[in-house]
Amino acid sequence: MKKFLVTLTLSLFAIYYLSPLLATFFYASSTSWEKSIFPDDFTLQWFVQLLSDGAFLGAVGRSLLLATLMTVIVFIVLVPTMIWIHLYFPRWDQALQKIVLLPYAIPGVILVTALLRTYSKSNIPMFFVLLGALFISMLPIVYLGISNQMKLVNMKELVEAAETLGVPMFPIIRSVLIPNLKVGTTLVSLMVFSSVFGEYMLTNLLIGGRFETLRIYMLRRMNENGHVASAVMILYFLFLLVTAFSIFYFNKKQTKKIVVRAKMEEPIYEKLLNHS
Amino acid sequence: MKKYAGLVPLISLLAAFLIVPLIFMLLSSFQSDQTGTWTMTNYTEFFSNSYYYQAFFNSLLITMVSCILGLTGAMVLCICLLQLSEKTQEKITFVSNLAANFAGIPLAFSFIILLGNAGVMKLVMPSLQAFDLYSWWGLGLTYVYFQIPLGVLFLYPSMRELKKEWAEVSATLGTTAFYYWRKVALPFLRPSLITTFIILFANGMGTYETAYALTGSNVNLLTVRIASLVSGDVFAKPNMGSALAVLFGLMMITLMSIVGRKEKK
Repeated sequence: MKKFLVTLTLSLFAIYYLSPLLATFFYASSTSWEKSIFPDDFTLQWFVQLLSDGAFLGAVGRSLLLATLMTVIVFIVLVPTMIWIHLYFPRWDQALQKIVLLPYAIPGVILVTALLRTYSKSNIPMFFVLLGALFISMLPIVYLGISNQMKLVNMKELVEAAETLGVPMFPIIRSVLIPNLKVGTTLVSLMVFSSVFGEYMLTNLLIGGRFETLRIYMLRRMNENGHVASAVMILYFLFLLVTAFSIFYFNKKQTKKIVVRAKMEEPIYEKLLNHS
Repeated sequence: MKKYAGLVPLISLLAAFLIVPLIFMLLSSFQSDQTGTWTMTNYTEFFSNSYYYQAFFNSLLITMVSCILGLTGAMVLCICLLQLSEKTQEKITFVSNLAANFAGIPLAFSFIILLGNAGVMKLVMPSLQAFDLYSWWGLGLTYVYFQIPLGVLFLYPSMRELKKEWAEVSATLGTTAFYYWRKVALPFLRPSLITTFIILFANGMGTYETAYALTGSNVNLLTVRIASLVSGDVFAKPNMGSALAVLFGLMMITLMSIVGRKEKK
């Protein structure tokens, strides 16, 4: 009886969660689907049409550009700063964490309002403002992810031990810090990359149609041709799937590496990208 | 002194793109959109113009409904999951995490294919013809879709801590399952239930993309309203938008800090 109930409930969840995806998949792979329960045929023409659409490739290119730029900026600015803070200003960590978590508490639309009020009439190109906005919105994931990793590997003790042994700072960074933080930073960069790749609200409200990214393209196509739009969604879903698998893989690697502390609470935010 | 130099990049970015803009927004919320003079009208307008406070209540309503359903769904899913083997649990949570990231335009679009005006489900079940996806019900359906996996993400780790022995002991002592949940499991889970609820609440209140992709500006939600006030070309009223954003932000921060303090206790 109990077993039956569990199976029944899980099947209901499965229907709720899989049917939109399946419908999108069949819609993307059929010429038309109007008369019956099943799609009329199977075709890849929408995918072919999509991949030969310059606007689509352009949109993917722009999203890739934003995602790559952001990942690089985040790491050039944040990782060294965070190592710095943990080594020299451990007390600041608490205060900074509060500020950095602010984007979690205040919804993105508020950030957009604030930025538009401040910069829309200034000479600063909105593209830079967008980069700034994305940077702010990525702060919680990155800050929490990396500081968690630093605690996991006991960074402060590692550095102190190396310093006591008389190793200069640069070799410490190169052969102690970087190898130890590698898995954690890879995880975080994956998350930053895929969140920015699929970002919509900040990009659309700050720059809008002048800079058509993937999601802006999706929304435009959605109102033009449902089949092509479905094809975009399916490709995007595959991208999400690959990202999720890699995040899963690195997460495993991370917990395996730190056997003793593996029982520590799971870093939940590392699985969380927010797109709602 | 040299040590502080390392902090300059982060601090200046925070100042330029977070702190200063927030201060500007606060200032401009006290300025009139027409004349630019200092005034409180934006705030009084919020309480007198039904268009604005309706947006607030609509957001609150859909968020509360989606939170309660999301949290219940997440709990039910977790309870079911815990009956399965470790391996299956891992697989299902993987899928659930994936679903949590499927929100926004792709989600809205998938539901349009499924249940929109010419949706597939409507072909299969003509009785669904009456269902209007572009309404409150449709919004609710899509909100719950991303709220449940998000709830699972935060609830599952602590639900796993529920020891099987506790249930067994209570059963041996002759209590009912209901009594066990009321006296043992729920009190144990209470802190994480509250945290999860707040996260779902913040997520629901902040939702813009899914709602906008599904209904455009037709449904009067707070986020959609603010976005159209600050970025609309024709009806732009950026100072009014700022006032709404300030009120919205204050509410969220108050809520977060109340919960933060509770958690520390």
